[in-house]
Amino acid sequence: MREEHGNVAPALVSKGEDIGEVRVEVPYQLITILETIYSWVPKGRIAVITRKCDEKALAELTKRGYVDDKRIVRIGLACSKEQIARCRCGDPVPTKVDLGEAGLPHSKDDLSEKLARMSPEERLQFWVRQFRKCNKCFACTHNCPVCFCDDCVLEERTFVAEHGIPPGLSFHMIRSYHLIDKCVECGECERSCPAEIPLLTLRKMLAKDMKEVYGYVPGDPKTVSPLNTTLEGEQMEDECDEC
Amino acid sequence: MSVKHVLTTCPYCGTGCNFFLQVADGRLVGVVPCKTDEISLGRLCIKGYNAHAFVQHPDRLKQPMIREGGQLKQVTWEKAMDRVVKEITRIRDKYGPDSVVVLASAKCTNEENYLFQKLARAALGTNNVDHCARLCHASTVTGLLYSFGSGAMTNTIPEFDDADCILVTGSNTLEAHPMIGARMLRALDKGAKVIVVDPRETPLSRISHISLHQKPGTDIAWINGMVKVIIDEGLVNEEFVRQRTTAFDELKEAVKDYSPDKVEATTGIPMGKLVEAARIYAKSDKAMLAYAMGITQHSNGTNIVKALANLAMVTGHLGRESTGVNPLRGQCNVQGACDAGGLPNLYPGYQRVDDPEAKAKFERAWGKQLPGKPGLTLTCAIKEAMVGKLKAMIIFGENIMLSDPDLGHVEEAIGELEFLVVSEIFLSETAQKAHVVLPAACYAEKDGTFTSTDRAIRVLRKAVDPPGEARPDWKIACELGRRLGSPGFDFSSPAEVMKEMASVTPQYGGIDFERVDKQVLRWPCPTPDHQGTRILHTQKFTKGLGVFAPVQHAPPMEEPSEEYPFILTTGRNLFHYHTGTMTRRSPKLEREAPEPYVEINSSDAKRLNIVEDERVSVSSVRGSITLKARVTDRIIQGSIFIPFHYAEAAANRLTNAALDPISNIPELKVCAAKVAKA
Amino acid sequence: MTDFRPTILAFCCNWCSYAGADLAGVSRLQMPPNVHIIRVMCSASVKPEYVLKALSQGIDGVLVLGCHIGDCHYMTGNHRTAKRMPLVQKVLKETGIDERRLKLDWVSAAEGEKFQKVIVDFVQEVQMLGPSPLREVRF
Repeated sequence: MREEHGNVAPALVSKGEDIGEVRVEVPYQLITILETIYSWVPKGRIAVITRKCDEKALAELTKRGYVDDKRIVRIGLACSKEQIARCRCGDPVPTKVDLGEAGLPHSKDDLSEKLARMSPEERLQFWVRQFRKCNKCFACTHNCPVCFCDDCVLEERTFVAEHGIPPGLSFHMIRSYHLIDKCVECGECERSCPAEIPLLTLRKMLAKDMKEVYGYVPGDPKTVSPLNTTLEGEQMEDECDEC
Repeated sequence: MSVKHVLTTCPYCGTGCNFFLQVADGRLVGVVPCKTDEISLGRLCIKGYNAHAFVQHPDRLKQPMIREGGQLKQVTWEKAMDRVVKEITRIRDKYGPDSVVVLASAKCTNEENYLFQKLARAALGTNNVDHCARLCHASTVTGLLYSFGSGAMTNTIPEFDDADCILVTGSNTLEAHPMIGARMLRALDKGAKVIVVDPRETPLSRISHISLHQKPGTDIAWINGMVKVIIDEGLVNEEFVRQRTTAFDELKEAVKDYSPDKVEATTGIPMGKLVEAARIYAKSDKAMLAYAMGITQHSNGTNIVKALANLAMVTGHLGRESTGVNPLRGQCNVQGACDAGGLPNLYPGYQRVDDPEAKAKFERAWGKQLPGKPGLTLTCAIKEAMVGKLKAMIIFGENIMLSDPDLGHVEEAIGELEFLVVSEIFLSETAQKAHVVLPAACYAEKDGTFTSTDRAIRVLRKAVDPPGEARPDWKIACELGRRLGSPGFDFSSPAEVMKEMASVTPQYGGIDFERVDKQVLRWPCPTPDHQGTRILHTQKFTKGLGVFAPVQHAPPMEEPSEEYPFILTTGRNLFHYHTGTMTRRSPKLEREAPEPYVEINSSDAKRLNIVEDERVSVSSVRGSITLKARVTDRIIQGSIFIPFHYAEAAANRLTNAALDPISNIPELKVCAAKVAKA
Repeated sequence: MTDFRPTILAFCCNWCSYAGADLAGVSRLQMPPNVHIIRVMCSASVKPEYVLKALSQGIDGVLVLGCHIGDCHYMTGNHRTAKRMPLVQKVLKETGIDERRLKLDWVSAAEGEKFQKVIVDFVQEVQMLGPSPLREVRF
């Protein structure tokens, strides 16, 4: 990410090119950008500025064969205090810190706790009110690093039945389910949502459930999603390959 | 292997969001929002995310074409330009320069529009230059020119966030200007009161505080009704009225009969709700008015705009942060096309062509004698063509065969022309009827500037090369100008064109490519060190004192009758853009809304025994179309709604070309229609 | 709420639970109305999207029935289902919809009576939960 035309732009810089003024305070989702341009960089290694959540996203992608781990060089970026607070991040320090200073994790997400204390009726009312603002911009899917399906099920009239906008609850519930074993809580969905729906909070609550039910946390290159293993833990075909 | 992210401006609506086009080896592969852009804040709507999809579509025009033997055949640029110049010169010499009309384009850059109007005025000798603003905000220009002296949005887009009250009317903001709608949502979340006045239930009206549904064509009634409530309940901003306006007594006299119960009888808006809305708007500290087609596209559109201006002036909601009268302009560069003089009666910068001083100034600047008579508006030009008074049209990027009212007559009019040349990116319905078609470059393939609805100059940067032999319109216009023998068309870059435009356009005086490359400047920006103007009319109005206009409600030109009992109103949906030449070729957008439809109220549908998805035919006195019915309560009883994006069921076959006498804007929002099972 | 009759969707896998349903029918076992049975080849083909769409449109309860573990015609299909459904329930819970509106159970081809019991119990449970709150929610 660097300064360009008075703004901060993502940039792919080739060997020998001038890097320009690097800026790290604006959180572009570089892994998503990497995915789009990956097939256009046929060989050689690509260095990517990665935060901890970006490392986890890369792990999920390499596990599924979308990215060749050996080609990626990680330049660890530690998020600033403001960024950690904005994401309510509990795991903000990359494996190796090359840029920035390691910050303290944020202890809790206020909104998650508030929602957990609500009655189901109140919670439903909250989410209905939020999702009524949805304009189907698809920013959440478009900018999400682990949303990689070419034929997105949310684009099927069978599953998201409503004409026009707002799309009904099925859009958001289906998305939540699909992400439950992949979401790395990078917060890009929430930052890109024009209606400022607190999507990251929903992800965090479901991540907690995932941990409780299966003891699984996405982002580890060595573990397999419980949705791809039998009840005895044997690996099955990746369910995403069904599509 | 080359991968770059090019920062450019969205070609769709007038919000003017910036984003990065991802280019890999000369191919557009995606869109990344720009997180530091002050207008979009790193967010985009679905059209923005798919703004790259149509650019390298196989249907793009790559080669000029000439009609020979009834068919369009590919030819060289040389041959095509020869033909254009030959025909235009012949027609101009035989019938006079006023037999030619140049249509500028709200989709082309400021530099290009400046060149188009210079082409008409300096090279051809006619003031017949107009563009699609005639169809959308022409009444804003005339209305606000009367009330304030300036026809542009008075405040800025980011200010919506901080308003206490937003009164939205005639605008389906979440669908037509999604990122501005998103700002209204932010204001809502912060506690602002949002009032929506619209005959339809729109995504914004459903989450707003007060939503009023009026009968189409009754806007002056409810606006005057609100003004009367404000006067009667002592909510007038006395200081503002006294110091900054004139003609208040005429206004008081004009609104005295618009009591809430009479307004209810005319508009259908319940008395209590009208009064409540008026009180909230008047009592709020920072209240903004936002409006669009629902206000402007009427046979008395200018008067309706003046009425809204009255409402803002009587409450003093002008000239401060998060206040103002804010017309939401539709096209990416309709504001710029107007600013650059693409209007028959105005030079660049809104200087009048019949003002001797202005005329002399431009004659000096361009080194040529200029015509003194104001030219024809687009809507009048169509009528003139039909009676054989107009012989040639040079159209840059406009699809009048789908966007103008009363398509039957448009088709006839085009048929009467001796020569039609169209510069386009796709073979649109209009290009299909042309004698010569010129392939043009689109927004991603050239440099230039757009001006967004809040007067911000936004930059276009070239990301990919145009396909085949397509050329940017500025090059086409320059070559035409040169070949027509006129001086002043020797530009080697858009930056040079802007330099000249800035020298003759006071509001753009301080605009040059280097400055706008790094910062957002809003006009008026008269000098190179001026930082641009965010809010208009802060100390005084452009014309000094604001003028109250004593306007009265007048019914639409065509009211429902026994044979045609429904009010047909037209509009847009989120997924498509105008005539669909770009969005219908973008897979993800087309997939969301692939078919034309008519929205009909469920009780009306029940009465006519029509069910959801049934094919029905909708007709008016002018024509008939067949499409699917969408049975819903989103439209009030007695009215139906059809989006105009679909060529196979063109809503404009039915609409009425009744014009507002002052602005010549057609009454696209109201006509009479009937619905029958197909 | 005694006059409320819940609308239920029951996805039954062809080889076991649908056969079980058949058996229940043939044996003239009484079952509550408003239960719509959808036959699928395997409970694993019940993508969570279908369940979520149904519930978001106001269906009061969804039942997913498959073969007993170890008996799946496609070996590990019902393993997938067993792993998925608890997570779908969590999605419902976090959105504010009662988890109990979705139930997963195993019924073999020979268990006509069990089929009846599963249906009757589920309908009763959903009846107590009341109509789906999404019936009145208009988007």
